[in-house]
Amino acid sequence: MAPISPRLCVYLSKVHNLQELRRSASLATKVFIQRDYSDGTICQFQTKFPPELDSRIERQLFEETVKTLNGFYAEAEKIGGSSYLEGCLACATAYFIFLCMETHYEKVLKKISRYIQEQNEKIFAPRGLLLTDPVERGMRVVSFWAVLCEGTGLPTSRDPGEAARKQGLHSRFSREPPHSNGP
Amino acid sequence: MPGGSRREGSLERGLRPQTPPKPPARFRGPGPGGPDLHRGAHWPAGPQRCPWLTRAVSPAVPVYNGVIFLFVLANFSMATFMDPGVFPRADEDEDKEDDFRAPLYKNVDVRGIQVRMKWCATCHFYRPPRCSHCSVCDNCVEDFDHHCPWVNNCIGRRNYRYFFLFLLSLSAHMVGVVAFGLVYVLNHAEGLGAAHTAITMAVMCVAGLFFIPVIGLTGFHVVLVTRGRTTNEQVTGKFRGGVNPFTRGCCGNVEHVLCSPLAPRYVVEPPRLPLASKGSLDRPDEKPLDLGPPLPPEIEAGTFSSGLQTSRPGSAESALSVQRTSPPTPAMYKFRPAFPTGPKAPFCGPGEQVPGPDSLTLGDDSIRSLDFVSEPSLDLPDYGPGGLHSTYPPSPPLSASDAFSGALRSLSLKASSRRGGDHVALQPLRSEGGPPTPHRSIFAPHALPNRNGSLSYDSLLNPGSPSGHACPAHPTVGVAAYHSPYLHPGATGDPPRPLPRSFSPVLGPRPREPSPVRYDNLSRTIMASIQERKDREERERLLRSQADSLFGDSGVYDAPSSYSLQQASVLSEGPRGPVLRYGSRDDLVAGPGFGGARNPALQTSLSSLSSSVSRAPRTSSSSLQADQASSNAPGPRPSSGSHRSPARQGLPSPPGTPHSPSYAGPKAVAFIHTDLPEPPPSLAMQRAHPQLKTPPSKLNGQSPGLARLGPATGPPGPSASPTRHTLVKKVSGVGGTTYEISV
Repeated sequence: MAPISPRLCVYLSKVHNLQELRRSASLATKVFIQRDYSDGTICQFQTKFPPELDSRIERQLFEETVKTLNGFYAEAEKIGGSSYLEGCLACATAYFIFLCMETHYEKVLKKISRYIQEQNEKIFAPRGLLLTDPVERGMRVVSFWAVLCEGTGLPTSRDPGEAARKQGLHSRFSREPPHSNGP
Repeated sequence: MPGGSRREGSLERGLRPQTPPKPPARFRGPGPGGPDLHRGAHWPAGPQRCPWLTRAVSPAVPVYNGVIFLFVLANFSMATFMDPGVFPRADEDEDKEDDFRAPLYKNVDVRGIQVRMKWCATCHFYRPPRCSHCSVCDNCVEDFDHHCPWVNNCIGRRNYRYFFLFLLSLSAHMVGVVAFGLVYVLNHAEGLGAAHTAITMAVMCVAGLFFIPVIGLTGFHVVLVTRGRTTNEQVTGKFRGGVNPFTRGCCGNVEHVLCSPLAPRYVVEPPRLPLASKGSLDRPDEKPLDLGPPLPPEIEAGTFSSGLQTSRPGSAESALSVQRTSPPTPAMYKFRPAFPTGPKAPFCGPGEQVPGPDSLTLGDDSIRSLDFVSEPSLDLPDYGPGGLHSTYPPSPPLSASDAFSGALRSLSLKASSRRGGDHVALQPLRSEGGPPTPHRSIFAPHALPNRNGSLSYDSLLNPGSPSGHACPAHPTVGVAAYHSPYLHPGATGDPPRPLPRSFSPVLGPRPREPSPVRYDNLSRTIMASIQERKDREERERLLRSQADSLFGDSGVYDAPSSYSLQQASVLSEGPRGPVLRYGSRDDLVAGPGFGGARNPALQTSLSSLSSSVSRAPRTSSSSLQADQASSNAPGPRPSSGSHRSPARQGLPSPPGTPHSPSYAGPKAVAFIHTDLPEPPPSLAMQRAHPQLKTPPSKLNGQSPGLARLGPATGPPGPSASPTRHTLVKKVSGVGGTTYEISV
């Protein structure tokens, strides 16, 4: 496990909001976990352990996280009774139901983002990592940000000002929407 | 006659014009008797038929028609206004890991079948399987089916079902209209000259006219759905004779299309600025500002620095907003290439335009104030009072420019194909007041080739007709206000305000000026070397023009760097044989002379070129070094001069600059030659794109042209097979990915 700098510890103790952590993180390496297309276009991420995280997180923990995410997405995309009903209801109401109702997928996405936030708070932030919500990137990748304080000397992004400009990489589904759905 | 009339009796009476049909006994409702019938007889076709049909056939007739019509309308609206599944642009940090050796293609194994993922130069990621880049919308769309000009939207994962249901319901509706009209006419056959009968017949004719193409299209999609293919895959022949790895069996495919949950949106639209939206509606002439060729840098400077709210037309905002993929990350505001990339680039222009942290903070605040929460799939919520779409509440307020330009495009397509003049007449309406910018020519009738339609069903239904149209203005079209998607308007220090959501995700950005280069995220040194290569290409061009080359057009090398690179952004297809391009912008530029078969080849070549070029900086460094290590060829080479000559030429150029761009050219040439089935001998070009004329052959000629430093050595013969001078070395990367490195 990489040593967590004292600054980070202090910072973590002060930061309750993970977004603030992201925003304030000066430098970060990012590890991207790509989609696993072996079963078609269903949303699945590769459970192959990236070597960059070798020193930061246990393999099993990583796999468990990714598998949980995969499970969530499988649940979201499941064609079953609820999706039938949703489709029929939408059809019957000329799709006006979408104004009032959240789709099944969106519900699961909210669940996922809560899960990710929870994981970040409990597991990854203490290890100096941040897990991003794949929906922000079109569900193409899951990324782990290795959040570091300045001066650690670890490889960072090309742009030294990037960390300073890191802004709200927050999950869409993790906050109360300022605007309610609907007109 | 009084009641007690049987149903047959009423029908019989209906056949006698002088006796209005009595309603059958069981249908005697609130409106019995003659007066009502007479009143009804004076109504226009539908309403006047309906009472008769209600009485003569069944009261369920108007109910059925009403329901069907509502269904058609709802599905049409969903297909039109729904985000098809646009992928947001990848942040720069994501492709940082793809260094210079990253290949153009990546293979993935899908159920045991190798599927190739292509690098999208516009969106900066490897396109997932079944994803394709729509050049009209300038977005990568998940499960891309096609870009439908009838609804002026891409059909992708999220809205394919609605499109399919729209087709089914429209077919049913048309069948109903024709059938009921027939019943009416047959029952009023004696009075065919009567107004209502004549109108009914006219309606039937119109419906019958559209019947064949709609039914044909519906049947086509039924086949596609059962086979589990997208239109894109079907037309490009991806699984011709092969196995479709994405199929789930017939029932599974149908179930997947009709019953799968609605996928979420990836691109979140910031709230629309009411003024901008209104402005876009009321001031269509502003659009050309954004869409004109010289615009992008100005747009970037001007729009972001001031008065964005008012002056930014839909395209600018739309460009911005559509490019706003996720909440702004630092990567969004990263360095931009030094020289103007043009509005097409997803990233901003020159680096100096990157806002400072404070402005970013502002921007971020405003963004954070935006609603990034999940939205109903109707993409409705945060849209401001888009007056244009107030009639349909769920619809996002498309900017007038987007809506109208798209509508105009589709309308012009229709006009060009065979639609009525009413569509053409619409154009002056929309474009009134608009200066004749290049992009406006898009809206001129026939200006837009049915390349757009080649993806649309116009071409599918009329294979011969569409490809003839050229869009002269296309290359310059619509780049317009395409500033960086990641440049937040607040970035320039403006007070945080919601971004105008004049851009609709479903419609895509306005047509834009083709970006000369798409090296958005490359370092300054690479940019400099690219610039140097462009200078060199300019020199070559001048030399060639002096030499009076075989190909005549001296602008040959202009395009490859500019147009072909634009191709990279717009092309979605890999090299294929005769493929129908789906509304790709390059098709539009291709000109009237391009046949369907040529265009694919052209597109293929150009895409390969551009793709090669755009990825060249990534791939060329190692090969470049290898190349430089080998001995220099002395002087200019003949036509079979290899790809290396440019590199050789590059050497005397300013030292210290990486020659990757220069190397990219010949390598691109090599790619072109491998990919092209056969270079079209001559391709009529339109407007100022002579470089497109014979790109393959010009690429052929470019090798000698590149080799020429001095006077031209004469007509460059087509290089025999300049192709695989580039050796490709396969290297296994992490995770089993195979990288092809040009040696």
